[in-house]
Amino acid sequence: MNSMSSWKLSGLGLLALPLLWGQSLADFEKRVTEFTLKNGMHFLVMERHESPTVAFHAHVNVGAANDPANASSTAHMFEHMIGKGTASLGSKNFVLEQKALAAVEAAYDRLEEERRKERRADKAQMERLEAALKKAIADADQYVEQNAFTREIEKNGGVGFNASTGLDTTNYFYSLPSNRTELWFALQSEWFRQPVFREFYKERDVVREERRMRVDSSAQGKLIEALLSTAFTAHPYRNLIGWATDIENLRAKGAAEFHKTYYVPANVTISIVGDVSPAQVKLWAEKYFGPIPAGPLPPRLNTVEPEQNGEKRVTVETEAQPFVAIAYHRPEGTHPDDPAIAVLDGILSGGRTGKLNRELVEEKKLALGADSGATFPSGKYPHLFIVFMVPNAGKTVEDLEKAWDELIERMKKEPVDEAAVKRVKTKLRAGFIAGLDSNSGLAQQMAEAHVALGSWKKVFTELEELEKVTAADVKRVLNQYLTKKNRTVAYSVQVKREGK
Amino acid sequence: MRTVLTLFVMAAMAAAQPAYKQLQFPKLGEVKIPEIETFTLPNGMKVYLLENHNLPLINGIALVRTGTLFEPADKTGVHVIAAGTMRTGGTKAKTGDQLDEQLEAIAAGVESGIDETLGSVSFNCLKENTDEVLGVFHDVLTAPEFRQNKIDLLKMQYRSAIGRRYDDAGQVNNAEFSDTVYGKDTPFGRSIEYETLDRIQREDLLAFHKRYYFPKNVRLAIQGDFDKAAMRARLEQIFAGWTVEQAPVPEFPKVTHAAKPGIYVGDKKDVNQTSFSIGHLGGLLSDKDYPALEVLSDILGGSFDSRLFRKVRTEMGLAYSVGAGWGAGYLNPGLFRISGSTKAESTVLTFQTIQQEVNRIRTELVTEQELNDAKEKVVNSFVFNFDRPAKTLSRLFRYEYYGYPKEFLFSYQKALAAVKREDVLRVAKQYIQPEKFVYVAITNTDQLKTPLTDLKLPVTQLELKVKEPKKEVAAASAASLAQGKALLGRMQQAMGGMEKLAAIRDVVMVNKAELGPMKVNQKVQWLMPDKVRQEQELPFGKVIAAFDGKSGFLVAPGAPGPQPMPAPVLKQVSDELFSMLVTLVQSDRMAGRTVNGVGENRVEISDGNGKAARLEMDPATGLPAKLIVEAMGPQGKVDVERQFSDWREVGGVKFPHKTVILQGGKPAGTTLSETIQANTGVTLEEIMKK
Repeated sequence: MNSMSSWKLSGLGLLALPLLWGQSLADFEKRVTEFTLKNGMHFLVMERHESPTVAFHAHVNVGAANDPANASSTAHMFEHMIGKGTASLGSKNFVLEQKALAAVEAAYDRLEEERRKERRADKAQMERLEAALKKAIADADQYVEQNAFTREIEKNGGVGFNASTGLDTTNYFYSLPSNRTELWFALQSEWFRQPVFREFYKERDVVREERRMRVDSSAQGKLIEALLSTAFTAHPYRNLIGWATDIENLRAKGAAEFHKTYYVPANVTISIVGDVSPAQVKLWAEKYFGPIPAGPLPPRLNTVEPEQNGEKRVTVETEAQPFVAIAYHRPEGTHPDDPAIAVLDGILSGGRTGKLNRELVEEKKLALGADSGATFPSGKYPHLFIVFMVPNAGKTVEDLEKAWDELIERMKKEPVDEAAVKRVKTKLRAGFIAGLDSNSGLAQQMAEAHVALGSWKKVFTELEELEKVTAADVKRVLNQYLTKKNRTVAYSVQVKREGK
Repeated sequence: MRTVLTLFVMAAMAAAQPAYKQLQFPKLGEVKIPEIETFTLPNGMKVYLLENHNLPLINGIALVRTGTLFEPADKTGVHVIAAGTMRTGGTKAKTGDQLDEQLEAIAAGVESGIDETLGSVSFNCLKENTDEVLGVFHDVLTAPEFRQNKIDLLKMQYRSAIGRRYDDAGQVNNAEFSDTVYGKDTPFGRSIEYETLDRIQREDLLAFHKRYYFPKNVRLAIQGDFDKAAMRARLEQIFAGWTVEQAPVPEFPKVTHAAKPGIYVGDKKDVNQTSFSIGHLGGLLSDKDYPALEVLSDILGGSFDSRLFRKVRTEMGLAYSVGAGWGAGYLNPGLFRISGSTKAESTVLTFQTIQQEVNRIRTELVTEQELNDAKEKVVNSFVFNFDRPAKTLSRLFRYEYYGYPKEFLFSYQKALAAVKREDVLRVAKQYIQPEKFVYVAITNTDQLKTPLTDLKLPVTQLELKVKEPKKEVAAASAASLAQGKALLGRMQQAMGGMEKLAAIRDVVMVNKAELGPMKVNQKVQWLMPDKVRQEQELPFGKVIAAFDGKSGFLVAPGAPGPQPMPAPVLKQVSDELFSMLVTLVQSDRMAGRTVNGVGENRVEISDGNGKAARLEMDPATGLPAKLIVEAMGPQGKVDVERQFSDWREVGGVKFPHKTVILQGGKPAGTTLSETIQANTGVTLEEIMKK
């Protein structure tokens, strides 16, 4: 009896869902205002008056994939520079500071000029130039009013101040009490117009330290780096955080060049969600961001990853317990197969009923954990479908690779479980509703959809695409993309080192 | 001339008020504090309801007054396994797997969890599925089945996790600091180990549930898209039949440990960075100085603008992350901790810089601006405590669970606004005690440019190695001990008698061993009681292992010369020595050893130091037939069994010339002794010859 009634209930639940979505989009459309400034900067504003707070999300359509050759981590440096402030915030005397910063660059140029002589470089001269650079930096540092930018935001009740750099995007975000909305306009517009690269070379050390933490001292980090640089031969998705020696030689003048190219207004999308008046926001947008001169859209990335002609393998030795990652090339996020790949990912690793958990973790007890990801490391360009597995004590990476192969080869032949397809779609939808709860989460989703998919409304219509996915579609993408020829297998194996 | 003029104009502009300073902000809109309905069900369970119609979702959580602090030391992890399998082990009606299918089909979840002072069972669902999901939630909370297969699975996963415990430097740093400060032998600092895990049985989980999961010990909060009256009626109906009672749960244990100050170093060769923590015990949220301490730790290391962040990251570029927090707990002191990471070579410099900053905040008043910034931050961001209705509910719920006043957040806010510079200095002097600091550094010691001893503090090595399980020993009684002695006496007699056994000074054996597909020629020289040299011809060359009772060396093909014997090999050798029959049968005459009869023909011999072996007698001959010891295999404990035969006399004592080895019941190898000689006069010098 019990199971009968629950079956009916769940049936009703599913029927109710599409209605709910329809209402949501219409309801959201009423509350969203969208406009573009003359210089090309785009704004999305959504009113939500439940509490007197507002979330800001500035999305720049540039990421680590756009890093210049020889200077990986340039895009990432901007995430670190936002805290350094502007002309009016962060300096004790900006006129003198600007001169001092120019002197730093000049001193650095002289040093590099000598270095370029390579073996013919004069050692004593290099030492003098290094000392001169050090002195110039110290001289510029005396004008710095440290962390003034972040202090001003925190003092005004700002929360969640942060920035993030991905391969395709750079995001700057925080929330304020809604009566201080104009403060965000004043600070953010000045920084976008003219960021000041003060303390650039110290921050470069911090980025180097970040690499030490995320990659050099992390078995997982090393494995992922090896996997990406093996899977991608040509495309810049082959590196996430930047190479150590590139970081150590980054230049502020390179960053300024990068800013000029990529931080043009037309390459920026701002979304604002919360207790605001759209008319007022528009006035402020014109007042603060309007004067930023327009510029040409940045160059497109030409490099396309060539087709892979056979399986690739890579091994990383560390002291840590082993892991294995297997990654398959798949098309970009806007490709029609994307929803079917998302469902496949859900079938494999969504929740406890996911095949990886059921078969590798629970039944065969080979894996301590196993997860898959449909979009790795980023989605704008063709990327990877990845599976990451951690062997149990006494099991090996080879055991896991074999079990994974058995699983997907079997799935390729058998019909895909209709119930599982339905379950995954329901879960993806429910996860989406839960994501609408916070202002900041919504601001981020809207800005990303606008840039990656062409409209914030795609946040909703994507779900309709998802609804159309059939079991046959899942089986087709599985057979098409998850092939040996198309993949890279990366092992992290344990090598014990005793004593010194 | 023009340049000068431009400069002048620019300077004048720079001196003018910047735009952001001229902004006038309107008064902040009104904060809506949502209404929460509270009541107690007839069975004694307290309920908190909050209607929130923003999204068509409902979620709830039951807090149960229990926690890992109540775990018995010898079964550390029992509450973790219990809370983990409460949901996965299913209910009477359905297995955990069936619940997974049912819930995931409607995008719902029911989960259980536990921490030090709190057990929880939670649910979330779309509002259409409320009744169905509440039913599952009720069953999991009131009558979990704890099916054995999920207990075995979770135990095995924890076993694997124990093996990975020391892989991630950041995690090691957190765990070692917390455990060291709280005390590794206290409920606050104990870790789950192989042996505590092995003792956990299904009955323990049922007993845990019975003891703590009863209505008067549970508070339930639900928020979302429902009607309060209807929800109340529904809950009254669902929980009407749950009326079990238990004695009230006692107070949680208190923190009593006083950690030894100094530096604790964990060496990891696969990192180039130091993960560190510096600090000592923190305090309680209810301390009257808590607001001043929050201001203090905020100025010291609470944000991007803190002194530590400015000095260590911004000014010196030494770290990616550095921060400090005054840890305050509801019931027990949290941890005052300064933590971060820096490249290994700048560890000492970073520590010294931190020491200087700590010293500065304890001797000088903070500036008026620092104090105001810290306060303004809290005052202006206060509204974010109310930006979602669920926050008000979860806060109230926690306060009530831990016995804090409802208005705690507001009184904290008021007290914080009243903090003066002098208060900050006073609490810094009173509560921050550098002489008590525990410094934990997980690092690659090969890359420390400056030795840690430069800090002039005692240095303790942390052993980043998983504890091997102690052998379980059967309970002994006077009768079983007497039986053990008698059985051992018969074996001594059968092997040649005590007099002959005691006369053996050394033994030299030449063996042919088969280990799986590998054939090995062995020569073993053994000098009573604990010195041994083993030379083996392996397919890839000759391996020599020598041990003088304390340390030893290995010579292996490819190695540049004799290498000191690593810890795992030392342990293996000492286990082997314990298993030597000639000495083992004399255990009744050795100090510290227990010989216990554990079966008709079986004795268990233990040394009280974690070594134990079972010896089985052949009743026909009185000779030892089998020796069984427990070893750690990749899957956990495994029995290693040696079966003895082909007994021949050497120097008046019978030695087995054939030994068959089984591992976990499966054949693992055979050793045939070509010759065995006794009392050859072999010397320690010969044994340790390099």
